[in-house]
Amino acid sequence: MEFLGYKRKDGASGVRNHVLVVSAVACANGVVEAIGRALPEVVAISRTYGCSYDPVGLPVLAGMINNPNVGAVLIIGLGCEGPNSERLVQSAQSKPAEALIIQKDGGSTATTAKGIEIATRFLKELHAQEREPAPVSELVVGLECGGSDAFSGMTANPAVGATADRLVNQGATVILGETTEMIGTAHILKRRGATPELGEQVERLVNEHEKRIRAILGDEVAGMVIAPGNIDGGLSSITEKSLGCITKAGTTPINEVLKYASSPSKCGLVVMDTPGYDIDSMAGFAAGGAQIIIFTTGRGSTAGFPAIPVIKVASNSEMYHNMPGDMDINAGSIMDDGRTIDQVGQEIFDLALRVANGQQTYAEINRSAPFGYITGEFVL
Amino acid sequence: MKSNALKVNQNDNVAVATEPIRKGSPVVVNGERLYDAAEDIGASHKIALAAIAAGEKVFRYGEPIVEATKAIGQGEWVHVHNTRPIPPDSDSA
Repeated sequence: MEFLGYKRKDGASGVRNHVLVVSAVACANGVVEAIGRALPEVVAISRTYGCSYDPVGLPVLAGMINNPNVGAVLIIGLGCEGPNSERLVQSAQSKPAEALIIQKDGGSTATTAKGIEIATRFLKELHAQEREPAPVSELVVGLECGGSDAFSGMTANPAVGATADRLVNQGATVILGETTEMIGTAHILKRRGATPELGEQVERLVNEHEKRIRAILGDEVAGMVIAPGNIDGGLSSITEKSLGCITKAGTTPINEVLKYASSPSKCGLVVMDTPGYDIDSMAGFAAGGAQIIIFTTGRGSTAGFPAIPVIKVASNSEMYHNMPGDMDINAGSIMDDGRTIDQVGQEIFDLALRVANGQQTYAEINRSAPFGYITGEFVL
Repeated sequence: MKSNALKVNQNDNVAVATEPIRKGSPVVVNGERLYDAAEDIGASHKIALAAIAAGEKVFRYGEPIVEATKAIGQGEWVHVHNTRPIPPDSDSA
């Protein structure tokens, strides 16, 4: 099975062909945003940090730069922040990348003008590139849930699990994240490891995360990870709640356990250590090379992500009909229209392929693309 | 027939109500009419598909999620009042 993607020099295929304009330090955000206003077609990402030692932020930005959906990169630095810009340019292996340094390039106004010139040239070059057939096995798909409700674990998440199994059967890579939402299932995930070592790795990941939460929040608060609202919603244990989340990953073995924002080296299902907070978690997937994210929601999350199409799967029909310009798929049809989990799983798979071929998701149409990432060890 | 409860995995001994089910009204799981609800079941709450003995594990998603603290009859509500989390040292496989 194939999709039509944009070939990169390293052999990867993007499902989009974006010009990324990225800030190497917060002080460069004004120029990055000015370029974004002048050329709405570019993906401009600003950041809050960057001057001091930033062991997480730089790898995340380097990962974004190397994401296959990015066709060319313009990095804007200030100058006195250290070698961030040079490092980021060097990290761009498979695509054109240039950097401007505000203190060397004539200040904000001149740098903005130069940046618009460079980004315009990049846009023109990328417009000339045509899509080419690529096997579905080149897709890397992140799985996210946010604004969940009592139906997420009944409809949307199991349906995405059926999609994940289909993707894995086609040789694609599927990333399960949100370590916080695996608590209570370490013994179950352990059995899912493709090898005993992988099983132990994923068990350790979840257990150590739980310990970290208990150390910071205390046992009493940590016990509230299943909240009174969860109990009102019918969930009887943290294991039941977390199973509702990890069911997104389908039924195939776990082939790799990844650090935050690192790239999978294996196909099939992989687990990444990401936080429960949606934006920071999606940043881990995007920096790891995910070209598409499938995102389930019950309350109605509108969040997409820069440069990455995010497919929104609604857990219930009421919210789906209430937010028609945000939700791409209605998994509530499993409850209301007698559709099966498997049928909706196929529907999401088919949509994911159309999105890979260029169809825009609602989050893309709405330009809902908040950017953020973890800045150290996360808690929740 | 329109379902009012869903069973996700073959091995599950509970289904989950997709809408409130009144005591005495039929439980329809994945299109199949099974039996009448033994008590009121709230939407997104669990209902026993078969009798569950005290100490027996409750399966959802094909995995044990809690264990019964008392005998639960077919069609009864399954929640924190008649189950408890499985102790971490017990063999849940």
